[in-house]
Amino acid sequence: MNIISVGVNHKTAPIEIRERISLSEVQNKEFITGLIGSGLAHEAMVISTCNRTELYVVPAMHEVTCEYLKDYLISFKDARKEVRPEHFFARFYCGTARHIFEVASAIDSLVLGEGQILGQVKNAYRIAAETQSAGILLTRLCHTAFSVAKKVKTKTKIMEGAVSVSYAAVELAQKIFSNLSLKKVLLIGAGETGELAAKHIFQKNARNIVITNRTLSKSEALAKELGTNQVLPFESFRNHLHEFDIIITAVSTKEYILTEREMHQSMLKRKLKPVIILDLGLPRNVDPDIGKLQNMFLKDIDALKHIIDKNLEKRSKELPKVHAIIEEELVAFGQWTNTLKVRPTIVDLQSKFIEIKEKELERYRYKVSEEELLRMEHLTDRILKKILHHPIKMLKAPMDTTDSIPSRVNLVRNVFDLEEPNQSY
Amino acid sequence: MSTFLTDPMNNILLNNTPLLLLNQLVSILYIATTYLYGAHFFSDHQGAKRFKQPFLIGTVLTHVLYLGLLTSIEGYRISYSTMNLMTMVGFTLTTTYLFTELTTKSDKTGFFIISFAAGAQLISSILTTQIQSVGTTFSGIGIGVHLLAAVFGFSAIAIAGIYSILYLLLFRQIQQNRFELFFQRLPNLEVLEKLTMHAVSLGFLFLTITIVAGIVEQSASGEAITLFEPKLVTLVVIWLLYGTGIIVKPVIGWDIKHMAYLFIFLFLFVTLLIVLMTFFSPTFHGLTFKNGSGV
Repeated sequence: MNIISVGVNHKTAPIEIRERISLSEVQNKEFITGLIGSGLAHEAMVISTCNRTELYVVPAMHEVTCEYLKDYLISFKDARKEVRPEHFFARFYCGTARHIFEVASAIDSLVLGEGQILGQVKNAYRIAAETQSAGILLTRLCHTAFSVAKKVKTKTKIMEGAVSVSYAAVELAQKIFSNLSLKKVLLIGAGETGELAAKHIFQKNARNIVITNRTLSKSEALAKELGTNQVLPFESFRNHLHEFDIIITAVSTKEYILTEREMHQSMLKRKLKPVIILDLGLPRNVDPDIGKLQNMFLKDIDALKHIIDKNLEKRSKELPKVHAIIEEELVAFGQWTNTLKVRPTIVDLQSKFIEIKEKELERYRYKVSEEELLRMEHLTDRILKKILHHPIKMLKAPMDTTDSIPSRVNLVRNVFDLEEPNQSY
Repeated sequence: MSTFLTDPMNNILLNNTPLLLLNQLVSILYIATTYLYGAHFFSDHQGAKRFKQPFLIGTVLTHVLYLGLLTSIEGYRISYSTMNLMTMVGFTLTTTYLFTELTTKSDKTGFFIISFAAGAQLISSILTTQIQSVGTTFSGIGIGVHLLAAVFGFSAIAIAGIYSILYLLLFRQIQQNRFELFFQRLPNLEVLEKLTMHAVSLGFLFLTITIVAGIVEQSASGEAITLFEPKLVTLVVIWLLYGTGIIVKPVIGWDIKHMAYLFIFLFLFVTLLIVLMTFFSPTFHGLTFKNGSGV
């Protein structure tokens, strides 16, 4: 009984290789069904995201090794020319468990602590469960991984703080203003960056978002999507600058769209109430001299990257706590898998004693009344329970090393003269 | 006139064991609470986070007991002395902060307020071991309101000063893109600004009460007071500046950053004045009271 994991991820292979080997949901189902159907594996699951394609397998034959599985996946994707076995990592048993725990808790991600990966692992498990490719071992492994991820999320700060420019912009705005729902936001530029920033600030309860863009239809479309329905013509937004507490710019331009003179006038009109300008454009959209005005906070991408770096540093400091949680769960998982190894012996032991009991009771079936037989049955049940209690407890007891399992199993089997077990895994 | 210790056997603490024990306990609790708030703010210590509020509540309750026992010496009458002023400042600062923490659920500025309160309490404790009497005692509603309002007024000035310092620290970190400890732990600028302005408003209110109660009491008693005494002049100047600040900001939008500098200056100035007057002019507006020594 073993769990093997092989795969390609951002640590082992460049993006071209990761793209080449990734599996769509349909391919994923086809792949794991094929593995199980051909009798190569008892259980199988594939996690396939933009950064990783990882295969988790409980092999059914000794021939199914890491190398075999790598080759199987490369063949399935018909990628022999581009993908080589060296692009893969390989893990066994505890290594596999540790790896999936690290993946689910987002410490193996490209951006430390990114929140999407847990959903992707859950999706992989859902596919495996739907195709009946997830048995007792993978189910337990995945559920433990989900529990690890939950603990990591609640007990550590690995997912705290913004790690993208648009989130960092919102985090900064929240460090200046206490309630974004009371603030008026101007978004200049309805492109991809602007849209992302608008969505993030909307998630933080900013509802008074006005959008302006050179192409009016684009700003109208974004305003409709956000549900704010507030747009300003690009030609006239400068007349309203004093109304806004937060200004986000994300346009492609060679000249500054906001000058120091305009903002100085605007600040006087708004009686020096603080303003934050988040310049997400590259090249910069806003005159840097604006940052010198009183109560004006002007931040460009470089400044926001400082926040991201600090947050990543903070997340890194949480790694020892995450590893401690993983270690704890690994021990529990290891003990659970040990009980799997002794389970056939426990079942055999119980079956043998039940058989003896039934044979002996059968001899008295017609010699005593039904009521007496029932009493005898209860009595023997209680005796059996007491006799079996200690050997079962000994078998289930936590073990320091896996080496001690066969010796305990053999001892019980020899003492009670049990037949050799059938190897199910 | 000096009430400072000449004979240790006459010291009010050494003659009163429960008072001595409570005095020491209050100081120890202030130090412990300051440590816990500091450990949470600077090191994000989870144990400190868990225990800091219970310690703060314990400190406030013990302080109430201490004040009760201290004032009981003179029949629960208010007395004027630096020792009493300092312990009252510590107490009002801490209770004001506790109220803020419980109502706003924001516990990020505790270290700065409580450490100042702890300083005031420690000064009071040290001075208490040096004196023979609790100071001049007063009876009457007017003088009581005057003294209490003055203590609350000074606490409000201290809080406004401390929050202004924090405001400027955070402001600078954001301006200079140094997203460090204060950026990560302090409440946002708007909250700090609101806390500062609330403290200023309260300070203005208490200083107004202090002035009005003082005038009423002086008229009623017919005692002559020195109008150009530094404490009086400073009180009126701060009252005027606070009042101007409250009016000016919403009308012409005076920059909060510059207001913060002013509040810090006033806080430091008043603190320095109190310390200096403790040593060079420990009198109550140069008055002489029938039931007190020459003050």
